Amino acid sequence: MNTSAPGEPILRNHQAQARADADAVDAELAATGDGRAFERLYRSHAARIHSLVRRMIDADVADDVTQDIFVRAWEKLATFRGDAAFGTWLHRLAINVVLAKRQTVATERKRRDDSADALDGLPSRRTTPELGLDFEDAIERLPEGARQVFVLHDIEGYRHEEIARLLGVVPGTSKSQLHHARMALRKHLER
Amino acid sequence: MLLTLAALAALALPQTDTTIAVRPGSRLDVNNFGGSITVKAWNQSTVRVQADHSSHDEIEIAAGPTVVSVRSSSRRGGPHTVDYTISVPAWMSLTLSGIYTDITVEGVTGEVTAESVQGEIICRGGSGNVSLKSVEGALTLEKARGRIELNTVNDNITVTDVVGDVTAESVDGDIELTNVESSNIDLTTVDGGVTYDGTIKDGGHYSLSTHDGDVELGVPPGTNATVSVSTFDGDFEADFPVSVTNTTKRRFTFTLGSGSARVEVESFDGDIHLRRPGQLGPGKHRDKNHNDNEDNQ
Amino acid sequence: MTHWTDRLSDYLDGALSSADRLDCARHLESCAECAATLDELRRVVARAQVLENRAPRADLWAGIASRIGVSSPGITSLGAERARRRVAFTLPQLAAASIVLVLLSAGGAWLALSRGGNHEIPLTVSRRTDDTAAAATVSWVSRADPKYDARVAELQKALDEGRGRLDTATVRVIEKNLQIIDAAIGQARRALAADPANQYLNVHLADTMRRKLDLLRTASALVNART
Repeated sequence: MNTSAPGEPILRNHQAQARADADAVDAELAATGDGRAFERLYRSHAARIHSLVRRMIDADVADDVTQDIFVRAWEKLATFRGDAAFGTWLHRLAINVVLAKRQTVATERKRRDDSADALDGLPSRRTTPELGLDFEDAIERLPEGARQVFVLHDIEGYRHEEIARLLGVVPGTSKSQLHHARMALRKHLER
Repeated sequence: MLLTLAALAALALPQTDTTIAVRPGSRLDVNNFGGSITVKAWNQSTVRVQADHSSHDEIEIAAGPTVVSVRSSSRRGGPHTVDYTISVPAWMSLTLSGIYTDITVEGVTGEVTAESVQGEIICRGGSGNVSLKSVEGALTLEKARGRIELNTVNDNITVTDVVGDVTAESVDGDIELTNVESSNIDLTTVDGGVTYDGTIKDGGHYSLSTHDGDVELGVPPGTNATVSVSTFDGDFEADFPVSVTNTTKRRFTFTLGSGSARVEVESFDGDIHLRRPGQLGPGKHRDKNHNDNEDNQ
Repeated sequence: MTHWTDRLSDYLDGALSSADRLDCARHLESCAECAATLDELRRVVARAQVLENRAPRADLWAGIASRIGVSSPGITSLGAERARRRVAFTLPQLAAASIVLVLLSAGGAWLALSRGGNHEIPLTVSRRTDDTAAAATVSWVSRADPKYDARVAELQKALDEGRGRLDTATVRVIEKNLQIIDAAIGQARRALAADPANQYLNVHLADTMRRKLDLLRTASALVNART
């Protein structure tokens, strides 16, 4: 459960090692009940976890689910063995919480439409002109299956086998959903 | 495979009764604030959750790829009690927890983790890792196999018909193991008796310890063990002859057969009895009928 | 001409067989449309990889702190619908400090704090007949350890202060059992004072002190227990 490879982002992060060391110390303290150490961990990882939740579910529940994740992490700290980076462990825990939540949140969302056309009705520019927000918005409007695969694969760096296991589908489905997502998103790069 | 979403808004219905299909290898995770959790094995490949609860409570059942989780939340006022009766495939592993919750498990063959703060835990079955914990509430385990851990503060631990390593700890309570097959036993309490009536295997390690209580150990004929007995203010007696090989004040060692197993029996202020199997008296030091914690909700 | 549109992601990710990859590459050389699509997909992936993570607009720490039962300066009561009665102690850091202290004064052989913050710190390393460990125990328990006692006193004080938030029945159970253990510790100490080199008594006292810390740890773990 604490293998390091699948959860690591495939991106940048030069300070990864330094942060991992600080995290390890704080995780050990927090496991004995040190609230301040856990707060440091929260501050260090909140952005990543919140963004993950926002992208995997939606922005409306992101605050609540992020809180749930950290509360659960606190409860489960005793099982964190330190043989993987804390961020990896937390990330995996977050994925588990997110995947468990999606079924209870599902009925409240409007994005049930599974066709690629779901994105076409959107204005291409929102009030904020930053390109980044536009792309993020587009991700959040993808149909659930495609969105979650895209987030896990292209943003979070999971492999298809792992994604398939997490989402309860076959790897072939994961691959086709990924393609579906990428094809839909390319239009929102250009506008 | 069918995953049925079952988040019921408990409106007029005081009962929940939901059945869902589950994927082999799934685990059941139930958390209940107060009330009870009863889990029984059946021969279906589905999980049926029945719950008695007030109309202010909502039962949330979420079925993911690897875990079926059951929770309740309260829409008004503080949490109310929920009594769950859940039928599961026998292979399912269970994680059951609660605060003021009695937990009963019957007939399962998967792993069992059950924790309550105040509540009795009874488990008949379980394999692999079996862990029962409470602060106040007796622990009873039968017919389990594997690596077993039992931990309570204020009550007794009773284990019968079990195979595997057993670690049991209490503070104010007796620990009693009968008909147990094991190579590794570690029983310790502070205020209570310890009784072990089971196998003593070659190469095994058996430790029975209490501060204020009697220790009763059943020694099968033909046992090969090095036994060390320690007591500060108690008596030692054995139902069979022992020849002491190493004596210090209040601590002595004797060897049975080849001396293969290591047995440590300790009581600070209580008697130590070595008996033949089946002849153990209760290792109880105090009457557990005292009721000084009677403000349970 | 059949396009390879549907398989361009697989091509991009290196998931095609070598035969297919060759065929696709050949197709791309002569198909402007697929080549353009591939380029767009590449840009999507590249864009995904440089997405910034954004912190939540609201500071969620106060809510988290309230739910896990640690103090958070300036916190106001949150989410009544999420509030539950909890058994909550506010002493774990002190417990941790006392555990570390006890282990350090017992000597290196006993210092087995696991890296991962594992709670299962094995204070009872050598109840087995190891003379070295017994000697270490003698030096540890027979000299009065004011720091251990001070730490335990702090824990007890925190317990008293937190009493108003606690479930009374569980508090009673914990306190009663702390008294039982204390009585046992007292008896063991007195016996040891009269017989300081007694290996059993030394180990037994150490074990009983461990039981006390275990119980205090259990009490603090109740904060962390379940949802």
